[in-house]
Amino acid sequence: MEQLVQTIALGLLVGGILALAASGLTLIFGVMDVVNVAHGALLILAAFLTWTVWREADLDPLLTVVLTTPVMFAVGGVLYFAALRRLRGTSPSMTVILTFAIAIVIEGVMGFVWGNTSHAVTPEYFTKSFRVGGLFFPKGQVFGALLAIAMLAILYVFLTRTWLGRAIRAASENPQAAQLTGINIAMVAGLAFAIGVATTGAGGSIISVLFTFAPGSHVQWISRLLGIIVLGGMGSLPGAVIGALLLGTAESLASVYISIRWATAVPFIVIFAVLLLRPQGIMGTRLREDVA
Amino acid sequence: MSAAGSTTRRVDRRLARARGAVLVGAVVALLLLPVASDDLFYQNMAILTFLLAIMASSWNIISGYTGYVSLGQSAFLGIGAYTTALIALRFPDVTPFAFVPVAGLASAVIAAAVGVVLMRTRDHSFVILTIAFLFVTQIVVLNWPALTHGSSGVTLPLPRWDLDFQNWPFYYSLLILMLATIALSWWIRRTKFGMGLFAIRDDEDKAATVGINTSIYKVLSFVASAVFIGMAGGVFAYYLTFIEPRGMFDIVISVQVVLAVVLGGRGTLWGPVLGAFMIEPLFELTNTELPGGNWRLVLSGGLMAVVVLFLPRGIIPSLTSLGRARRERGKAALVGARLERPVRVRERARTPASSPDGRPILEVKGLRKSFGGLEAVAGASFAVPEGSICGLIGPNGSGKTTTFNLIGGTMSADAGEVLLDGRRIDRLRPWERAYLGLGRTFQITRLFRQMSVLENVVAPLRTFSWRQMTASAVGGTEARRADELLDFVGMRRFRDHPADELSFGQQKLVELAQILMLDPKVILLDEPAGGINPTLIEEIAEMIRELNSAGKTFLIVEHNLPMVLGLCDPLLVLARGACICTGTPREIQANPLVLDAYLGEDYAAEEEVETA
Repeated sequence: MEQLVQTIALGLLVGGILALAASGLTLIFGVMDVVNVAHGALLILAAFLTWTVWREADLDPLLTVVLTTPVMFAVGGVLYFAALRRLRGTSPSMTVILTFAIAIVIEGVMGFVWGNTSHAVTPEYFTKSFRVGGLFFPKGQVFGALLAIAMLAILYVFLTRTWLGRAIRAASENPQAAQLTGINIAMVAGLAFAIGVATTGAGGSIISVLFTFAPGSHVQWISRLLGIIVLGGMGSLPGAVIGALLLGTAESLASVYISIRWATAVPFIVIFAVLLLRPQGIMGTRLREDVA
Repeated sequence: MSAAGSTTRRVDRRLARARGAVLVGAVVALLLLPVASDDLFYQNMAILTFLLAIMASSWNIISGYTGYVSLGQSAFLGIGAYTTALIALRFPDVTPFAFVPVAGLASAVIAAAVGVVLMRTRDHSFVILTIAFLFVTQIVVLNWPALTHGSSGVTLPLPRWDLDFQNWPFYYSLLILMLATIALSWWIRRTKFGMGLFAIRDDEDKAATVGINTSIYKVLSFVASAVFIGMAGGVFAYYLTFIEPRGMFDIVISVQVVLAVVLGGRGTLWGPVLGAFMIEPLFELTNTELPGGNWRLVLSGGLMAVVVLFLPRGIIPSLTSLGRARRERGKAALVGARLERPVRVRERARTPASSPDGRPILEVKGLRKSFGGLEAVAGASFAVPEGSICGLIGPNGSGKTTTFNLIGGTMSADAGEVLLDGRRIDRLRPWERAYLGLGRTFQITRLFRQMSVLENVVAPLRTFSWRQMTASAVGGTEARRADELLDFVGMRRFRDHPADELSFGQQKLVELAQILMLDPKVILLDEPAGGINPTLIEEIAEMIRELNSAGKTFLIVEHNLPMVLGLCDPLLVLARGACICTGTPREIQANPLVLDAYLGEDYAAEEEVETA
């Protein structure tokens, strides 16, 4: 029983961190109708940046968030204006192929810069844990989860309380109507993409402490993130949070009770099950598709 | 016109002959290459190029012809490789080449099973699932060591032929497989099957309503794009003599396949081959200059991004349209031309015309459909008498189009029944409804945009059979029938025009000819007069009358009241998702309920807005 509670608790902590990374992916999908396959690669890129800052400047990896978030925001803006913007209005398959290409380029570049070996960021609290009763909570995961929740809260406030945030949500719900009310859809899409990518900044900094990573691990991460947003309902922010908590817990349970090797299959099984049984996910609603 | 036509044809014939000569020359050169040169570097390059061309041509079937982008097709390379390798281990005395057909079979079976599941989704969901499929396969192979030897991989027997023959057996077997893949791809394009795939790519829902069994077509195209990849995987495994899960189920292989096809031209016959013959040598040559996997990643990803952004249609389609633009420069577009006077050949009656107040041929009982909290169709019930031209009117948002979608099967109802000729059809798929005699047009015309007018008209199918799929795409009798129908709607001159170059009104006429090809008993028209000029409206009304006198029953949604009142009898009035009254045009005009529905609802809506 204690093991079960422990497993679930760790799963929820990881889930909180996954939620942050997935929120960016689902935001981009919601506003732009683009599945950003490069999201995993950007996450790993942020993790490598964190690693370098931690190595060179000895800055705490979680504090690096203040650096990685704006940097990734800029990366997202550049990607949007240099590449994705040109594909507005074309078939979704082309945007998938494009972001896939971007992911592969980033993987190659990371291989050149940091080498194709496993990296990990190990601050001094890396091996320490809080103990509550019989349960232990690794400090890295607790700090990481708290930071992720804080970032999610900032994102939430931005989207609901500011004009720009409301413009983004309007564009996500009905681009044409939003345009008619004077919202510059191209700018809003670019902003949403940049913000979506910015979440990988904080996300990457956090996961650099909790997981080992290599340039090639982006594939595993994008699968995980896709699993989450598919489960939560593509385009839904609350859905991404719920999906992340569920998936984090499921992976944690699978690795303890089945085997750690099969745990990697969990996101895929989730993807298959959800897309076939409830394609709109948990929080997605099925609206009238225009078949007229 | 005819002189110009014959010059074009002469040019075409010359082009075809030149292409044939180039083709034969290329095949002969490829056959002789290993004999002429014993350089293993180039032999290896050719082998890898053939492999990529096989994969690209195969991928093109599902992703180019059918329009479903799969990023997991390279899974079949691994499946074929493992099938061959694992059987070869059991039978060390037999050459592994013997098991290559088994690899193809295994791929086909797995593709069929996976395809049934995957093909229920579209667009983004499909892409995500194909990625998931690739990785699930890899995880299973990694974690099932009893069968697959897991991460330690499988070593195949070394080739036993004389070293003088170098890699010839690999070379020639992959060359043959490549030619076979191209032949399959070529054959598919010429059949009803291929035409159905193009229709699905252009507009899947529409394809289903004109009798194309989209489920079977999609699964078959998935299988067709897996078989030769599997067989090539078998040969490739033997060539490598050692395979392991990470290399065989690598998503980067998918990148190169996609790159080759997009570069050469998606959906064309030769694009994928051209792309493969450009990409693979490039990679092999740069590999000697810039060794290491990272260069390969940056190059393939970077090239792909460049191609998607700056040459999204690929080389062959871009060249084709360039050539066409040059040939047609200075000619007036036919689109602006006046319509021909429709030829009034009497449509022969399938059933003798019966009186309009006959038995109901189409019945709707208690039909319901909600979108979220909105009940678009709320218990609609009505009957369309056989042989009538029945009008369905109602204010905007009253559920007319949704009702059409439910009758045609594009959407499935939450509750209620639809009967055609006394038979329940509400659980049937759209194409089954088409086979039973239901045809419909759409409010915004939905032709298959990348097909010609003639192809659009011959695309509908009146039954499903396996043999029919292998029939030639545009058969002689069908073409004649299509010409008749195009004459009937006055669009024969446009038969070889691409559908997306037509004006809206012209598209409506072609769409009408298209569904007449189904020879439907009941024809549903969604706003036939919407957005077209008054003369054409009169023409269309005339066509409807004529078809009706030949025994066709019509159900027409229309906002043009003069047309409806002059053409339709009886009229059905839909309001808030239910049929509120039925009667002759005169009765309807006098009915206070109808006025209330049109005006009252508007008032109510305005009040709601004000209070909100």
